[in-house]
Amino acid sequence: MIQFQQVSKRYPGGIDAVKQLSFEIRSGELVFLAGHSGAGKSTLLKLIAGIERPTSGAVLVNHQNVSRLSRKALPYVRRHIGLIFQDHKILFDRSVFDNVRLPLDIIGFSGPEVRRRVLAALDKVGLAGKESLNPIALSGGEQQRLCIARAVVHRPAILLADEPTANLDRDYAHDILELFKSFHQVGVTLVIAAHDESLMADYGRRILRLKHGEFTA
Amino acid sequence: MKHWLRLNRLALVRTLGSMVRTPVNTLLNLLVIAIAASFPFGFYLLLSSVAAVTGKVPVEPQLSIFLRNAATPAEIGKLKEQLATDGRVAQVRFVPRDEALKQLQERVGSADLMAGLTENPLPDAFIVTARLGASSAELEQLRDTLARHAGVEEVQLDSAWAQRLERLIALGEVLLQVVVALLAAALALITGNAIRMQILTRREEIEVAKLIGATDIFIRRPFLYMAALQGLLGGLAACGIVAAALSWLNPAVRDLAATYGETFLLRLPNPAEVAVVCAITVLLSLAGAWVAVWRHLRRHH
Ligand SMILES: Nc1ncnc2c1ncn2[C@@H]1O[C@H](COP(=O)(O)OP(=O)(O)OP(=O)(O)O)[C@@H](O)[C@H]1O
Ligand SMILES: [Mg+2]
Repeated sequence: MIQFQQVSKRYPGGIDAVKQLSFEIRSGELVFLAGHSGAGKSTLLKLIAGIERPTSGAVLVNHQNVSRLSRKALPYVRRHIGLIFQDHKILFDRSVFDNVRLPLDIIGFSGPEVRRRVLAALDKVGLAGKESLNPIALSGGEQQRLCIARAVVHRPAILLADEPTANLDRDYAHDILELFKSFHQVGVTLVIAAHDESLMADYGRRILRLKHGEFTA
Repeated sequence: MKHWLRLNRLALVRTLGSMVRTPVNTLLNLLVIAIAASFPFGFYLLLSSVAAVTGKVPVEPQLSIFLRNAATPAEIGKLKEQLATDGRVAQVRFVPRDEALKQLQERVGSADLMAGLTENPLPDAFIVTARLGASSAELEQLRDTLARHAGVEEVQLDSAWAQRLERLIALGEVLLQVVVALLAAALALITGNAIRMQILTRREEIEVAKLIGATDIFIRRPFLYMAALQGLLGGLAACGIVAAALSWLNPAVRDLAATYGETFLLRLPNPAEVAVVCAITVLLSLAGAWVAVWRHLRRHH
């Protein structure tokens, strides 16, 4: 599903965020991405989504070389990916409902289907009944759930979550991870970045550990 | 196709929503567009009103050749012959001095015009109609050749004022083109800037939309709708402004024309012209918006 071949990413300014990484994530896998701040977790996720382009090497998603895709083709690849951003990127000028519907608008859903899907996604993440609120009225944890709802509303095959449990207490973080587990159970490929490895241990899944842009044992 | 219509309807609803949410901004933008468009359009209507008047004036220019009282029949005969063979001349009519006097008396409506005069003061004359479409340079040349002829006292180019008016209108047309070009550029810049402001207020939305798979077309669409709507409303408002201004001027124009014994009114815009003006403002507005969105997308890729 996701394949890295000798991928390096050097940002302007000379920082090598990712160095010569090669790995593969199979369809339906749940993989954790661990590492301290600045290890390159966000960069790796952005490379998968084609938000950043590798300086060298190839990133394959669904056998397509994302790093080579044209500006025109890239949006269509992104529609198969659900993204949960480290900085949330919630739009505070509109309701919870309108935040979650954005991917559906982009793909071109309409009518009752939009409402049905948005409410189902909100229900799934535990925000049922809050659709008409402004996101500013949500707690930090609830905002995180809103991001998850927006990422899954169009039922992507791949879900990339960048620190979805940051700033949440342990119990709440476990709730969120349970939620991801339920997506995993219906066959979604998941990559979840987090710096707190103790949370992942309870799930006994594959963990990729990053340090200065390289894998450690 | 259905999908496409749906996306467009969605964009249109969004656009109307955002225009209604910022009514002051929307109105100010419309007003600026309307005023910018009303200048060339009003100018054009003025020009076409005046051009219509010159159309009523006979355009074939006339020359009056006044002969010396002492001109000999031989000289007159020679002149006649020359006029008959000159390619620039279409028609010649000889007006003897007695007939000219009779005409004058009829026109003035008074028989005692001659009181105090012992002799008819008017000369014999040729009224020459020049070939249609002769340029004024040609006419002036013709006048000069005829004036040098023996037995000729004076040659008058009668249609000089009509020619002058035509020249003035031609000048006005060039001026109109310049004004149209300048204000068209201004219009595209104004609308482009209005759209740029809209883009700035929605740049987070644009950023998120791009990250989760929106195409450039999807992002551009609502702004193009906004631009088209802005252009259409601005164009209509411009026509309204022009119609109001001309109607306001018209009583004064009518009174002025009446002093010349003419009935003349400035022409108001007709539906076809309104459609053309709106089409132009819409296209310019779209062009401005297109560039604004393109610049934004290029910068934030
Ligand atoms: N846009 C950028 N321009 C320049 N350098 C960058 C950029 N983004 C990240 N970096 C650098 O690349 C390195 C890896 O950053 P990255 O965001 O991938 O780390 P991270 O593992 O996600 O950290 P965190 O846990 O703090 O989110 C860091 O040293 C960072 O300073
Ligand atoms: Mg990060």
